[in-house]
Amino acid sequence: MDYELGDAAQALRVRLRELIAQEIPPGFLGAFSANPDDLALTQAFCKTLADEGLLCLAWPTEYGGGGGSVWEQTVVREEMWAHHEPRGAQYMGVNWVGPALMRHGTDEQRAKHLPAISAGEVIWCQGFSEPEAGTDLASLRTRAVLDDDGWLISGQKVWTSYALMAQWCVLAACTDPAAKSNERLTLFIVPMDREGIEVRPIASMLGPHHLNEVFLDSVRVTEADVLGKVGAGWKVMRDALAYERVGIARYARCESLLSRLQDALVADGLWDALAPALKSRWVRALISLRVARLLAYKAIAQQNEGIDPAAAAAARIVTTTCDQTVAELLLEAAGAASLDAGPDAPIHGAIDDHWRYAQAATVSSGTIEVQRILVARSVLGSSR
Amino acid sequence: MNTDLPPDVVAFADSARHSLTRLGGVDLALRTEVDRDLREPVSRALASIGAFELDVRGDLDELLAGAQLCRIAGAVALAWPVVDELLSVDGARLALINPAAPRVDHGDLGGEWVGADLDGEAHSLEFGEPRSRAKLGPFLMPASLGPARPPVAADDVARHLVLGSWRVLGSLEAALDQVVEHVGARKQFGQALAEFQAVRFAIADASVAVRGLEELAKFTTWRLVTASAAHHSADACALRLHAVDTAVAVLRTCHQMLGAIGFCDEHDVSVLDRHLQPLLRLPVSAESLALRLVPTVEAHEFETLFS
Repeated sequence: MDYELGDAAQALRVRLRELIAQEIPPGFLGAFSANPDDLALTQAFCKTLADEGLLCLAWPTEYGGGGGSVWEQTVVREEMWAHHEPRGAQYMGVNWVGPALMRHGTDEQRAKHLPAISAGEVIWCQGFSEPEAGTDLASLRTRAVLDDDGWLISGQKVWTSYALMAQWCVLAACTDPAAKSNERLTLFIVPMDREGIEVRPIASMLGPHHLNEVFLDSVRVTEADVLGKVGAGWKVMRDALAYERVGIARYARCESLLSRLQDALVADGLWDALAPALKSRWVRALISLRVARLLAYKAIAQQNEGIDPAAAAAARIVTTTCDQTVAELLLEAAGAASLDAGPDAPIHGAIDDHWRYAQAATVSSGTIEVQRILVARSVLGSSR
Repeated sequence: MNTDLPPDVVAFADSARHSLTRLGGVDLALRTEVDRDLREPVSRALASIGAFELDVRGDLDELLAGAQLCRIAGAVALAWPVVDELLSVDGARLALINPAAPRVDHGDLGGEWVGADLDGEAHSLEFGEPRSRAKLGPFLMPASLGPARPPVAADDVARHLVLGSWRVLGSLEAALDQVVEHVGARKQFGQALAEFQAVRFAIADASVAVRGLEELAKFTTWRLVTASAAHHSADACALRLHAVDTAVAVLRTCHQMLGAIGFCDEHDVSVLDRHLQPLLRLPVSAESLALRLVPTVEAHEFETLFS
């Protein structure tokens, strides 16, 4: 039994923090702001990571990756999320579109897209959720109708993150409504500037770019745009989601924010005035974050063994609930000023930013109810 | 990174579980409430599996083996102060106490006892009459402080807290196993309780909590051997605090899922819960443990990715 991540992973953590300190300003809160400079900053940072072979560390070297160990990949996930994801929306392409292309794409698709992803030159979005199909993706209604030239896709996607930034989309559409539920869907790779695609941003508490509607009006796609096989969309999606089993390393940002706020409160002479009950919550939050990290490590350590399908779900449940617990704690500890946004707010506005985004932690990328279903199935067996 | 227990430790644990379960399990603990002489076969069984030869102050494998023994002791509510025995000082069992109101599980066993507070300040312990008819912690004995003794090593205090936390974990795992069996078998409204989503979600949450405690227990045990000694006390307090918080939540779920049967002494969960209470309240409350950790957090010495 050994919990060391290894020398290479530790050295990588140091190097990533050096790069972040050099290129990312202290008040950076991510690319998803109204300020286009934030997007430009992340694009430049992705180039830096790509130049050092760190952007696609998890990829095989033959596709421009670094062939990194799972623990090096874990360090990348932790450091990027802790520092407000300075890769911007790149992680979508890096973490699952790229691996899905490697596994299910054609030679032409791999040749076209993988070099661009590994160079940090392209942003992807995923067109899955619809007004009538969230967690239940098999029931989505966007139709791809076959004709002599391929398919015409019409329908509506919703909650599509980064749709205004993205150059490409992995789009799920129903190609055979009469087929079994797991054979109805097909995934298509579609450029976002293709005729018939319209993106409308949705104003939300999460901030710009997180939520969009995407309207599809007779969007032309061909055989060359299919990712995987026709009717195999559900399988490709399941494979893709497997790359993201443990989800975002939210515990890393929580630990960072608690540390930063503690320093700020001490510097302002406010820490000692915090109520003992609040400090007790602070301690418990740090312990719960440690537990979240350990459950993530447990799931990662098992990821090639397929022993316990509930391990990743357990990690996600604890991590996402911790995210929300810490959001409340930060807001309470920082007092009224925590409601302010922008660089003059406590810790450069990171508390407001974290609280707003944490509200979605138990909803996005697989709701906490789905995770509970997975754990319950492991403990109690399937329900009828 | 390898989060699995070593094979030798797993083999020892399997053997110990077999022996201590065969002895009578939770039912034996219940019977011992009225016949304390039943602790004698427990002592013999522990000796037969080599429990008293374990050096929990030694290397990681020895400590982990001791931890698994404590986990199994928790699972069967073993009527023996295993942690105190494993950490004996010069032949005297070591109990962690609150000097203002010292109480020790199985203090009536005889032999020498040392009571130490969380700072290691130690005294010999003397015991009076047993409490009468106490349901919570039926083996808990009031004690008084005898002569002062040399301070107990900080690492012994830390290991005591950690091994006690493993015992808590064992009790929670056993209680949850009972509940899982119950909701699978018990039918209401024409279907097993395990078919109701409210039940499934409650058990999922309890299961996740127990998994989390297990991982924290393993990690903390590993840190006791590998991390700087300066961190041991905080790590151990953190584990015990989390064990107590987890126990309160999980046992609440267990009782809710079991309904009235879970309050009956014929059911293991009633016994497990009652016998576990001293470990959840002593030597200090969970809140005291939390506040004890505050200075560590203030010094940025509590291990995180940013400490």
